[in-house]
Amino acid sequence: MDAQLKRGLLDVCVLTAIKTEDSYGYKIIKDTKPYVELSESTLYTILKRLENAKMLTVYTAIHGGRLRKYYRITQNGINRINEFKKEWDEVISVYQFIIKEGKKQ
Amino acid sequence: MTKQEFLDTLKIKLSNLPKKEVNERLNFYSEMIDDKIEDGLSEEQAVLEIGTPDKVKDEIIKDIPFYKIAKEKIKPKRKLSWWEVTLIVVGAPVWFSLLIAFLAVIFSLFISAYAVTVSLWAVFVSLIALSVCGFLAGIIHLFIKGFFNGGAIIGCSIFLMGLTILFFYACKFLSVAIFKLTKKTLFILKKSLINKENA
Repeated sequence: MDAQLKRGLLDVCVLTAIKTEDSYGYKIIKDTKPYVELSESTLYTILKRLENAKMLTVYTAIHGGRLRKYYRITQNGINRINEFKKEWDEVISVYQFIIKEGKKQ
Repeated sequence: MTKQEFLDTLKIKLSNLPKKEVNERLNFYSEMIDDKIEDGLSEEQAVLEIGTPDKVKDEIIKDIPFYKIAKEKIKPKRKLSWWEVTLIVVGAPVWFSLLIAFLAVIFSLFISAYAVTVSLWAVFVSLIALSVCGFLAGIIHLFIKGFFNGGAIIGCSIFLMGLTILFFYACKFLSVAIFKLTKKTLFILKKSLINKENA
């Protein structure tokens, strides 16, 4: 897959994984596993990028006697997901056109 | 490999990177391994799933911009004494020009790689123009100078068009190869900056 496309896709994928409730690294990987294979290093990069873009915030909480980082989505992040959906509605309609016309021949 | 061994190895391998950045990453991996163990994996398995320290190191290097690695490399590891500072200041004309020359060499390498790509495509465009114009000129000659003269020019133009199509694939292949090569060079450059001290 095109690198640029994949990056955008994974960003929104991670944002969606933390949308309904705050989450942590391992849970994000587990939740997205059925759909996409995220390595730990890749996830770190994505989380860092989203944090820098102010699409999520990070806080630390104690869990079982150790520290764990939690990620919370911001309004910016929610906006990004919505934007993405809108963009892809267009992509899908073009895709359907391509498939439909392809069948005619 | 235990979790502590993994983290210690990785720490040594990344010792030439900014401290803060390395610690943040180590914490991230440490948390990941703990969570995997809590989920029922053995410590050994959990570490195995993350990957070998070498593999993780390579991924991290790809991730960090070149200037950050270079900056960390230049930064002195301890405080400099007054005579060292004096030497650096006095020697500035020497080391500064050397540094500039070194950077210029790297920069020009990249520029020339891209220049080659651009000129390849320029040749491709001129081939298109040449074959199209030749074809038109051939038609005109057909009327002015007769059948054989015009026909020969048209034939040459069509041959050139075929060549142009072949050249397109060559161009595409070379562009991709050059792009990959520059990316690889940057990675090796970064790696060499990091490796020197713990080699």
